[in-house]
Amino acid sequence: MDEQFNFKKKYRNILLIVLSASLLVALASIFISRLGASRLWANVLLNNQLFLGLSLGAAFFLAVHRIALSGWQTVLQRLPDAMTTFLPVAFILMLLIYFGMHHLYNWADSDGSDKVIEGKKAWLNIPFFFTRLVIYFTGWIVFTRMMRKSSAALMTSSDIKYDNRRKIFSGLFLVFYAITVSTSSWDWIMSLDAHWYSTLFGWYVLIGMFVSSLAFIILLIWLLKHLGYLKYVRSDHVHDMAILLFCFSIFWTYLWFSQYELIWYGHLPEETSYYITRLKDFKVLFFVNLGINFIVPFFGLITVNSKRQPGWVAFIAAIVLIGHWIDYWLMIMPAAGGDKAGIGVLEICMTIVYACVFIFIVLRSLSTGPLVVKNDPFLEESLNYES
Amino acid sequence: MRNRNYISIFFDDEVPLLQAVRKLRESNEIITDVLSPFPVHGLDEALSIKRSRIPVVGFIFGAIGAILAFGFQAWVFTVSYPLIIGGKPFFAAPAFIPITFEVTVLFAGLSMVAAMLIRSKLKPDIRFVPVDKRITDDRFVILVEAADAKTTLMRVKSVLSGIQTIEIR
Repeated sequence: MDEQFNFKKKYRNILLIVLSASLLVALASIFISRLGASRLWANVLLNNQLFLGLSLGAAFFLAVHRIALSGWQTVLQRLPDAMTTFLPVAFILMLLIYFGMHHLYNWADSDGSDKVIEGKKAWLNIPFFFTRLVIYFTGWIVFTRMMRKSSAALMTSSDIKYDNRRKIFSGLFLVFYAITVSTSSWDWIMSLDAHWYSTLFGWYVLIGMFVSSLAFIILLIWLLKHLGYLKYVRSDHVHDMAILLFCFSIFWTYLWFSQYELIWYGHLPEETSYYITRLKDFKVLFFVNLGINFIVPFFGLITVNSKRQPGWVAFIAAIVLIGHWIDYWLMIMPAAGGDKAGIGVLEICMTIVYACVFIFIVLRSLSTGPLVVKNDPFLEESLNYES
Repeated sequence: MRNRNYISIFFDDEVPLLQAVRKLRESNEIITDVLSPFPVHGLDEALSIKRSRIPVVGFIFGAIGAILAFGFQAWVFTVSYPLIIGGKPFFAAPAFIPITFEVTVLFAGLSMVAAMLIRSKLKPDIRFVPVDKRITDDRFVILVEAADAKTTLMRVKSVLSGIQTIEIR
């Protein structure tokens, strides 16, 4: 039970090589193909949002299960725990947006001639935007840090007070997160189309975050099992992760469709503009998004046997992760990139750079302690879990 | 004594029940049924009962429901009775989705209930006479098939000698 992940020099070197290679290619593509600053900043925002979503989704996963006193996920909890350590880095990366404000958000340099943007000025102005950004990240970092600290205390002490403390912080995190995930998605994504609004947008982004981080946790389980760790994580645990991925993919589709149908039915010009730009210029991607995030997990994970094979579940999870990248792309790029929007070498390489940094931070955090929380009251239940 | 073709073994806990099921199967006794007040983990494997095929029924009827509902709406609004609603085209697929979804769920749910009732031969006037009233409360019971009640009783008793049973009869 004292098994510890060994972040070997070999793994570090592989990550470093991939990172520097794709960074070089990304830089080269910026200088050679002259894609323009707005597309570069849209890429930064896209990847910030995707990887921030992975860590927030992981924190949400932990908080929900702890509040519900669920036992089965206890052997896995160090993986999402490690994913939340990316939040401080995400904070710094999000602050970088300050230099790209004028390339991304057209409300940032409004001259007062646009009546709609003038009306939203109380919320959409640069000082308040960054005040909110700091508040969001302070809350997220503090609550996840406290949860991690209590977990770390449970490694050495078997005092139940640490478990109770963790539950309290989970509850506080959930309340704070439920509000801030909505408002942050209005700030960072919805205000790209400053005229447009959708009341469902926050929940849509929240579920996208949760599904993509479930997919990442599954991939992490698969990777660690492949490297010879996590022997005690059996098909039963993978089964439950697959069930969550399956049902929350359906729930994501439900929200996607609810948002689409109401706007389609209502047919109000300020609402339909969002879908018109996406359907006119990116028709293929628009339907690929729906197919990859709904049809693939739905039919790929519908039978019991398919949910119990780690390799297959990881394969579906990888596709879903790509699907949610496309989902974020469709939210951000058509609005921010303008007529230069597209998927090219830059997009792929930037995402690989971010992914390498993210994986590096997660694996380094995993290597700092045992892979299970030894004195967790639910550990025994989780080890003997049958789904 | 009424001539019976089975023997019932009573337990008050699930652990000896599982042990007994394994032992009886090892000694080639035929278990007709096991009654328990709550689902016992591992009992299905111990009895080597195959997984229920009810989900397959649900999937097939759900698919039928989806096709029927979508097809019917498409037929009504394009062929049978075209109406302009809200300036939308006649074939307005997004508008059909909520009803398609509901009919899918309805078909899947009802078909699974019906399949379960048919497969377990439950119908309104069925009568069930319990071997012992306690099996409807807190007792675990194994029913073993017995062509000749007396010899089987002796055999079962010797097989289960080390296991904590309440009663064997």
